[in-house]
Amino acid sequence: MQAVEVAVAVIKKKPPHSALHALTFAALALPGIMAAPVFADNDNVDFQYGHYQEGKRNLFSVKNDKNPIEVESLFGKATFSLTDRVNFTTHYSQDTWSGATPISTAPLVAQSNRAYLADTASGQTITVGASPYLNTQLLVTKKFVPLQQNDVGKVLGKAPQLVHILSMASPETRKQGDFNLGYEWDEAAIDIGGGLSLENDYESRFGNVMSRWDFNQKRTTVNLGASYTNSDTSAILDHDASPYITKDYFATQIIQSGAMKILQGNRQDWSTTVSLTQIINKYSLFETSLGYTQSTGYLENPYKVMTIMFVDPEQTAKRLTGNLHAFLEQRPEQRNQFSMGGKFVQHIDFAEAAVHLEYRFFQDDWGIAAHTFGAEWVQPLTSTWVITPKIRYYSQDAADFYQPYLLSKQAYSKTQYDPTTGKFSLIPYDPSKLPNNFSSDQRLSAYGAISGGLSLSKRFSKAISLEAGIEYYQHAGSLKIGGGGEGHYSDFDSFMANAALKVNLANLDSRAFNLHPEHHPHHHQAHHHAHAPAGVMFDHLLTDAGSWMIGYRFMHDEQGGAMLQGTHTSSEQTIVKTGCGTGNEGCRLTPTFMDMTMHMVDIMYAPLPGLTLMLMPQFMDMAMNLRNLTDAPPVPVGGHVHSGTGHATGGIGDTGMYALIKAIDLTHHHLHVGLGLSAPTGDVDIQLRRAHQQDEGYIHYGMQLGSGTWDFKPSLTYTGQHEQWSWGAQFSSTQRLEDKGSTGYALGDVWQTTAWGSYQLSPGWSSSIRGVHTNQQAITGQFTALPGVVNGVLLDDVNQRSGPMDFAKNYGGRFWDLGFGVNYTVTDGDFTGNTLGVEWLQPLSTDVNGVQLDRQGALSATWGLAF
Amino acid sequence: MLNHSPFITVINIIRNTTGYFLFFSSLLLSGCASVSPWQRGILAKPEMQLSTQPVQALFYEHAYGSREAASGSNAGSGGGCGCY
Repeated sequence: MQAVEVAVAVIKKKPPHSALHALTFAALALPGIMAAPVFADNDNVDFQYGHYQEGKRNLFSVKNDKNPIEVESLFGKATFSLTDRVNFTTHYSQDTWSGATPISTAPLVAQSNRAYLADTASGQTITVGASPYLNTQLLVTKKFVPLQQNDVGKVLGKAPQLVHILSMASPETRKQGDFNLGYEWDEAAIDIGGGLSLENDYESRFGNVMSRWDFNQKRTTVNLGASYTNSDTSAILDHDASPYITKDYFATQIIQSGAMKILQGNRQDWSTTVSLTQIINKYSLFETSLGYTQSTGYLENPYKVMTIMFVDPEQTAKRLTGNLHAFLEQRPEQRNQFSMGGKFVQHIDFAEAAVHLEYRFFQDDWGIAAHTFGAEWVQPLTSTWVITPKIRYYSQDAADFYQPYLLSKQAYSKTQYDPTTGKFSLIPYDPSKLPNNFSSDQRLSAYGAISGGLSLSKRFSKAISLEAGIEYYQHAGSLKIGGGGEGHYSDFDSFMANAALKVNLANLDSRAFNLHPEHHPHHHQAHHHAHAPAGVMFDHLLTDAGSWMIGYRFMHDEQGGAMLQGTHTSSEQTIVKTGCGTGNEGCRLTPTFMDMTMHMVDIMYAPLPGLTLMLMPQFMDMAMNLRNLTDAPPVPVGGHVHSGTGHATGGIGDTGMYALIKAIDLTHHHLHVGLGLSAPTGDVDIQLRRAHQQDEGYIHYGMQLGSGTWDFKPSLTYTGQHEQWSWGAQFSSTQRLEDKGSTGYALGDVWQTTAWGSYQLSPGWSSSIRGVHTNQQAITGQFTALPGVVNGVLLDDVNQRSGPMDFAKNYGGRFWDLGFGVNYTVTDGDFTGNTLGVEWLQPLSTDVNGVQLDRQGALSATWGLAF
Repeated sequence: MLNHSPFITVINIIRNTTGYFLFFSSLLLSGCASVSPWQRGILAKPEMQLSTQPVQALFYEHAYGSREAASGSNAGSGGGCGCY
């Protein structure tokens, strides 16, 4: 960027005496140093992994056996200056979540979470967990207070205690991509952006515009912003719960698709913000902001239901019977939200630290007022370490229409005798006697939350830093300001952790800002041979001792189309008969597609010439869909058939650690050996949720996120080049070092041979063609037996055996692929040394073990930067 | 239930919040010393930036936004349903 260049130019003339001196120059030159982060003042690439984990909720009367909500998040962001005044930012993020979450609230005595009982082989009945019951009955006083009864129906007393009704969600993934384009003047900037967020049941499109105005020699900065979001919901209503949920109000929004009911809705959000940043003196600054958001349309959470207690007032008994029914929640179709905030940053001289204080007030026309207080102490420890303890407190009122559960003084339905016709008819509840809006969503209740955490950041050079943070969060009704919060039944806690890698591209080669001035910047473009196609890993070493390379690798692999047996298309009957067990154990389901996406961060370091170490953490997600096979065998009595809808998983995959060792290094020919270990950091115990009153066991082998075993990954790579031509060959293998992972199986060993040729079209561009042969063995072992409950009976093993993907024999095979790739290396200008590569692998021949889905191809993309 | 129209509520909220905003803003503007650009060395330090860890902040904001009513009302930045 221009600003940095100016600063660097100044410093080069006269070396700075201190970092502070340098920063003063930087401050002089940087436009809008106080601007919102959307105005990046440096080119950078950031990666972040985050984990959110809730604690188990208390169900009081029964044991909560369900894993609480957890979310795995991956985030990547890159900012580049296109010209001195134009910058481009792109973000990608994805979240995968799973676990149990409240869907409603009911009196505890209604036993809405019931002990989930099962019969063992010896005829005993045992409790194996808790299961939600939405429509139940209870006894109440004339004033509608729930009553506790003992086993024989004797009333023990009043029981106002409430409880959440928990329901499980199978893993689901959301993906979001967005961009921003910014233009900067000397004392103003404008930034426009837009993006998409996609998940199975929710799709958002959004756009925004931000502008910044500097006044007063940049002592004052004003930001003005506006944004718009348009979101569609198409929520699949829980197959098991749907029959017990009253959906009349949304009848026109629900469509039937096969066996599924889908609730559709659209919402729009308009938002404007204005903020003012002011430098108060040499040591402090302040930001104040005002925001307004208007949301209209379907603002409900489609998975939350309201428990309504219907009590017929015409009952004559001393105690009344209440009937609990679950209704889809109803919220107003409009929400106006205001917020006002202030942030104050003060330098603390004696500690060489900064304190950040923040307050935000929120008010909407649903009756929610909220206060957020935050404080951070940012303490640099040395020139490279920063530790930041932080604390946050949040408190909100309940929405006007929030109720843990609702009372309606009428019968849900009653029979009435018509004396004129002499017939009985069923009179349903009168919807006009219900409020227009009601929700028991915990987010709309009155509560407070306190959280505290610590983050640590380490700068390895001006360009590279690592950040990690943890935070513990406690939500409780009793923490609300002024009291009157929700009861303690709704309390929960959670834990968040994140780790981020940040690379500042502008500073990678900056001598002036190098923390180790004795290390001269490297002219990396000189010591790079032509890059191998994007799908080839371990293709080169770093030449100079002490040099680094940072990269990102993306891979997307698709399977789909026909089912194959060996090399030929398999008939439905063949899948049924050979894909699974024999006879009644034949296949009932088969996959229709399976997509796998991997994101890898590639960190390389050369401690010695001729030795390069690599660390490669990965994040992956997978999606597949299943269909019923025709001619499937009948379901055995008491049998166990998989639900057959789509599945998704995602999270951290296995982590690779490699050493590349130079063997031969001639002018035109190079040979190196790779020795690697892959640590089983990816989950191999992901389970399907209970559905149709049955536990479903571990999700298919191919949907688990790791190999489950420690793997040895050797490789031997030869590369050569002459004038515009370059070529290479690689032999690599994956050898499982253990017979089985923690869940009983090991993926098959892999041998891969590849050879490629590449032609340099111009100094920056080259194209490649590549052949690949892969041989992978079938899975050995199988999932360990997982006890669970099917139709009220405790079974020793509930793992699925309903389709080819559930059998170890149907994995691996022999494959030929042809790759077409393009590589681009930036040879001059600010981005010198950046390399980009894309390669498509087209399957040529496929010979699968057993019965498997055909392959559609794979896309690899890489970015790398050496320094 | 609301016992008055949303419009009136909106007006009331604007009236309540704008007062604070103007008050703080004017307080600030009036109380600020003149800081020349060459006196801003400390203000340019990383720990003095308004957001010291913007990437981390995005993750935490997303987590708060999926559990709190007042967070995540920032339309135009995505974030998804958060319906868990």
